[in-house]
Amino acid sequence: MSQVKIVFFASLKESLGQGEAFIELEGPTSIEEIKQKLNVILDKPDPLFEDGIQCSIDYEFARDSSKVDPSTVKEIAFFPPVTGG
Amino acid sequence: MTLQVQEADFNVQALYEDLQVKNRTGAVVMFVGLVREFNERAHNDATDADHCFELEHYAGMTEHNLKHIIDEASQRWSLLDVCVVHRYGKLALNDQIVFVGVSSAHRAEAFLACDFIMDYLKSRAAFWKKETTPAGSNWVESKQSDSDSLKRWES
Repeated sequence: MSQVKIVFFASLKESLGQGEAFIELEGPTSIEEIKQKLNVILDKPDPLFEDGIQCSIDYEFARDSSKVDPSTVKEIAFFPPVTGG
Repeated sequence: MTLQVQEADFNVQALYEDLQVKNRTGAVVMFVGLVREFNERAHNDATDADHCFELEHYAGMTEHNLKHIIDEASQRWSLLDVCVVHRYGKLALNDQIVFVGVSSAHRAEAFLACDFIMDYLKSRAAFWKKETTPAGSNWVESKQSDSDSLKRWES
């Protein structure tokens, strides 16, 4: 089992009511499966499933089908569409 | 190549001078993004001072993605130098938010690369704007036109 850090940003962080969470993973796990795990762990998980929420694995944009290998991945992030510039 | 993600303001003249490579630069193209009003004022008597912005960013991912965007531009076009500065933290109306500058021997490459970097920055750099007025705070929503604009570079 390896622990992976999950971080949240901007409006998602506010609506979830927390900026980070930790989950235990046994082996390669998809983002979709990680979201289901978070659905159980988070106090107010619904905003995570809203349209447009994006994800990254170690700073690279990822999809729901992307796999997370807990032996190498350091950080997963969920956030709304970016609005910089 | 210069990449800075910082709270402090930046000096366009100094960045412009840094972009010049002696005897080789024929063109410098620069873009500066400023803070503007996103929403109609809720109160007519509200002043600019009642209006503020906060830019949140994902430290680490921001730099990682901007570096990737600059590298991609440098592979596509023959550039002499690239400078990207993006601010975060509290900002007021009319403040400078972002600087993208590109130098090259000829203007065409500099125009294209500057446009390309800004397009990708808008859709890929991990920043989020929150606008606060006397009526309350709102996260600025992303625009479809920004992601549509990326299609220009797919070929």
